[in-house]
Amino acid sequence: MTQGTTSKQQRLILGSLFCGIFIILLIARMFYLQTFRYESLYKQSENNRVRIQSVTPKRGIVYDREKRPMIENRASYSLSVVPVEISKTETTERLAAILSLEAEELNRRIKKNLISRFQPALVKRDLDFEKIAILEEQNELYPGAVYRKDQARLYEPNLGSECFTGYIGEISPEEMKTLDPSVYKAGRVIGKAGIEKYYDRELRGMEGTEYLEIAASGQLLGVLESQPGVPAMPGNDLVLTIDKDIQEVADSVFGEFCCGAAVAMDPRNGEVIALVSEPSNDANIFSSVIPDDLWRSILADTTNPLLNRPLDGQYPPGSTYKLVIAGAGLELGLIDRNSLFPTPCTGGYKFGNRVFHCWELGGHGKTNVVQAIERSCDVYFYQLGYKMGLEELSKYSRLCGFGKKTGIDLPQEASGNVPDKDWYDRRIGKGQWTQAVLLNLAIGQGEILSTPIQLAQFYCGLANNGRVFRPHLLKTIIEPDGRETTIGGELSYTLPFKQETLDILKEGLVAVTQGEHGTARGSKIKGTVVAGKTGTSQNPHGENHSWFVGFAPADDPRIVVCVIVENSGHGSEVAAPAVKKIIRAYLEKYNLLNQGTAVVEVTP
Amino acid sequence: MSGMSIIKSPDFDWKLVTAALLLSLFGVFLIFSAQYHSNEPGAQMYYVKQLIWLGVALIAFFITISLPPRLYDFSAYLIYFLLILMLVGVMFVSSKSGASRWYSIGPVNFQPSEFGKLAVLLALARYFAYTKLPPTSTKRLAFSLILVIIPVLLILKQPDLGTSLVYLVILFSVWFFSGLSPIYLMLIVSPIVSLIAAFHWLAWVIYFFLLLLVLFFSRPGLSFSVLTTVVNLLFGMMTPLMWNRLADYQKMRILIFLDPGRDPQRAGYQIIQSIISIGSGGILGKGALNGSQTRLEYLPVRHTDFVFSVLGEELGFIGGVIMIALFAFILFRGMKIATKCRSNFLATVAWGVVTIIFFQMVVNIGMTLGLMPVTGLPLPFVSYGGTSLVFFWVLIGFLVMADSRWQEY
Repeated sequence: MTQGTTSKQQRLILGSLFCGIFIILLIARMFYLQTFRYESLYKQSENNRVRIQSVTPKRGIVYDREKRPMIENRASYSLSVVPVEISKTETTERLAAILSLEAEELNRRIKKNLISRFQPALVKRDLDFEKIAILEEQNELYPGAVYRKDQARLYEPNLGSECFTGYIGEISPEEMKTLDPSVYKAGRVIGKAGIEKYYDRELRGMEGTEYLEIAASGQLLGVLESQPGVPAMPGNDLVLTIDKDIQEVADSVFGEFCCGAAVAMDPRNGEVIALVSEPSNDANIFSSVIPDDLWRSILADTTNPLLNRPLDGQYPPGSTYKLVIAGAGLELGLIDRNSLFPTPCTGGYKFGNRVFHCWELGGHGKTNVVQAIERSCDVYFYQLGYKMGLEELSKYSRLCGFGKKTGIDLPQEASGNVPDKDWYDRRIGKGQWTQAVLLNLAIGQGEILSTPIQLAQFYCGLANNGRVFRPHLLKTIIEPDGRETTIGGELSYTLPFKQETLDILKEGLVAVTQGEHGTARGSKIKGTVVAGKTGTSQNPHGENHSWFVGFAPADDPRIVVCVIVENSGHGSEVAAPAVKKIIRAYLEKYNLLNQGTAVVEVTP
Repeated sequence: MSGMSIIKSPDFDWKLVTAALLLSLFGVFLIFSAQYHSNEPGAQMYYVKQLIWLGVALIAFFITISLPPRLYDFSAYLIYFLLILMLVGVMFVSSKSGASRWYSIGPVNFQPSEFGKLAVLLALARYFAYTKLPPTSTKRLAFSLILVIIPVLLILKQPDLGTSLVYLVILFSVWFFSGLSPIYLMLIVSPIVSLIAAFHWLAWVIYFFLLLLVLFFSRPGLSFSVLTTVVNLLFGMMTPLMWNRLADYQKMRILIFLDPGRDPQRAGYQIIQSIISIGSGGILGKGALNGSQTRLEYLPVRHTDFVFSVLGEELGFIGGVIMIALFAFILFRGMKIATKCRSNFLATVAWGVVTIIFFQMVVNIGMTLGLMPVTGLPLPFVSYGGTSLVFFWVLIGFLVMADSRWQEY
C-alpha cells in the first residue's frame, strides 16, 4: 500500500467488511425485537392502543410596563375524541348528549379537527367541570373520549384594552390554508386580533408530544416507557409599553359619551402608554365561545363596538391639522412668524360667490401664524391653504405621515386619506370640482381623514424636534429561560420642518392653553405647561366629534395624548379636559410636575 | 452487441438479475398484503400498478444494457448538465404547498433528484476514469466535491435532506473506490462528525483528541494535517456559538427545515407502530395477509416507506433474513463486478450503484427497526412507487453492463 492509497483487492475486502457489519447489525436488531421482545410486542399488537397526545405549551403572559399582568392563563378542561376508538354510533350519541350537541354536529367537529384517525381531535374547549366529573366516573361508557387539562386566557377586565390585547380563538379552516403547517395544527388556538395575533409566534411556544398506552378496554395505562415524548416549550412572555394606571385613567375620560378613542405615547421613542377604544369589548368573552344572542347584539349595536377606533377609526382631523398647513407655509416661505394676510377675519371669508365661515362668528381680525394657531382662526388658514395650492398641501400632508399606516405592531390599522388632484378627478370627475375643496382641507375638514394614532404620531414629531418614532407596544420579550430582549424605539421618519419652523409651531401650541385667547385656556395644569391643539371634526350624520392633541411638559415633552370624543361638539369642551386628565395622571405618577411654579408667561 | 445477445451470452449474470427480480416480486406481494384489507379507494389495486411498473422497469433495464457503454461515458457531463437545469427548473414549478420537487407529466410525477443520483454518479465516474491526478490530490478531491455539492445545494433547497445525503455518500464511496485510503476519507469526513459532536463539549474534546492521535500516527502530510485540524477546530467552536444564539423555537424551525413534512408527532408514532409490527411477527411471522397491525391499519404508509414492517409482521424473522440476504447477494456480487471490471468508468459506476442500493437499504430498514431517523427514502425494488422501481432496475442494468461489456473499450 503506497501512502494514502489502496489496492483493488483491499477495496473489495474493506467494502465487503463495511457492508457486512451493517447487515449483521440489521439482522441482530431484528432478531432482538422478534425473540427477546416478541412476547410484549405481540401483546401490544393484540390490544394495540398507543395514543399520541399533544402537550399544550403554556401561552406567554402579557404584562404592562411595570410587569403587572394584562393577559394571564387560567386552567380549563377540553374534550377530544380519538376517531379509531369511537367506532360505535351509540358512543357518539352518548357523548353528544353529554355535550348537549347533535350527534351530527359532534361528527362535524371531529372531522374539522382531524389530524389522523389515531390522534385525538378536539371537540369542545373550556368544558364545565361537572361534565368532566361524569366522564371520569363512567369512562368505560365513553371509549375514545379524552379530556385533559388545558388553559384558557384571562384578560384584565375594565381597562378598555381589548383594542390592543386582541383575543384568541380556534384556527379556522381559511386561516389554516395560509399558515405554516409545522407550527399550526387544526383545533389549536391562535391570536385573532391585537397583540395576541401580531405576536402569536412569540406567545404560542412549541407543542410537545406524549405517547400513552391504552388497554384494549380503553383504560389509560400511563405513559409509554419505550418511547420518550417531546416536552412542550412554553411561549415567550411579553412586556408591553402600556402603563396600566394611565390606561385606567384613559378609559375613564369619556364620561357620558359613548364613543371615542384615546392614544398616549412617549414622543421620545414611540412607546404607546395607553390605547383606548370606546365602547370596548370584553376579550374574555371573545376568547371563549360567544353566545349567539350576545354576538347578535354586538353586531346590531349602532355604536359599532367592533370598530377599533384609535387605529381603524378615520375622521377628518379638523383644526389639529392646521399645524401641517402652518408648517408647510413657513417652509415654503409663504408666511413668516409675523406676516399677516391682507383679508382680516370678520367671521367669514368670501371665496367666489360663497362665504366660508370662521368658527368664531365674531371674527379674529388680523393675526399672525402663532395667533392663528392660538385662536384656531379658520380665515387665516383658508388664505394660507389657497396660496399654497393642492399639490403642496397633499405633498406636505404625506410627509407628515398622513395617508399611510404608522406601522404600529398590531395586525390591523387604516391608512386614512390624503386627497390630491388625481383623487378628486377620480372621485368627483375631471373639471367637476373647484379650488373650494382646498379651503376645506386647509382647516382639516372634508376629504382628509386621519386615524387617532396617526395624529398622535404627528404630534410626537412636533414634540420631539421633528423626529418621529414608529408607535409600538412591545417593550421586552422574556424567553422561558429568563433571557430578555428589549425592543427600543425605531425612527420612522423626520418631519419636513426646520428647527425654526418647529419652534414657531410649538409657540402656537403653547399659546393654545396659555394665551389669553387660547382655545384651550381652561385646560392648564398647575406645575407644567401643556402644549396642544383643539379640533372639531365635522360630522354630516350628527353632532360633531371633538379632538384634542396635547403634550407636556412643553419644554421637554414626555407624553403626547390624542383624544377624540364622538358627537360631543367642540374640542375645547370635552376632548381637551380629557387629555388634561390623562397628562396630569402621567406627570403626577412620574413626578414631573413642578411644585408651586407660577403660570409661565407667554407672548400673545 | 445488442441487449438480446447479452442476455443470451453464457456470461450473463442470471443470478444477479434473478435476485433483483425476486426482490421486486417480494415487493408486489407485500404491497398486495399491506393493502388487502384497506378501505381506502384504489389502495387494493396498488399491487397491480406496481406489477405494471415492474414491466416498465424491465424494459428500462433492457434498454440500458442495449445502448453502447461509450454513450454513457461520452454524454456523462451532458447528462449532468441537464440534471442541473432540471433541478433549477423545478424551483420555478409552483405547487400547492409552495416548494416543488417534481415535474408532473400527465399522471406521472418525475422527480429529477431521483435519477440525479445516477447523473452525478456518471459525471464522477467520467472524471475519475480520465484524471491523471493521484487519489490524494487536493485538486482532484475539490473538483469532484464541487460536482456533487452543486446538485446537493439545489436539492437541499427543495428541501429534501434524505436524497441529498445519498449524493454525499456516493461521493465518499467513489473517493474510496478510486483509491483514497480510508484514513484520508475519515479525516475528510471528520468536520461533519465535529459538527455533530460539538453539541456536547466533552464529546467534542474526546473526538478532537482522537483525531489528533490519528493524524499523528498516520502522517498524511503537513498541509493536510494542519487543514484538517483547523477545519475541525472551526466547526467545533462555531457550532455551539451559533446554535446557542438561536432561540428554542428557531432551533426547532431549523430542525423542521432539515426534516420537512415530517411531523415529529407522526414520525414517533410510525416508529412505535413499526417496532410493534416487526416484533410481534416473531420468528415465523403471523402468516401472509394476517398481520393484525397491518390489517387494523395502525401502521401508516405501510406500502411505501414501511413496507419492511409488513414483511417483519407477516413473515417474521425468516422472511426478513431472506430479504436482507437477497440484498446482500446483489451488493457482494456488485462489488465483485466493480473490482473485476477493467473499464475504469464502468467499474466506478458499478461501485456507485452498490453504494446507492446499500445506503437506501440500510437507512430504510434501519428506520423501520428504530435504528435510524425517519427519512423518506424508499426500500430499493420493494417499496411502492414507479419511479423508484424503474430507477433501481436501470442501476441493475449498469451492473450487468460492467460485468459483460467492459471489453468493448
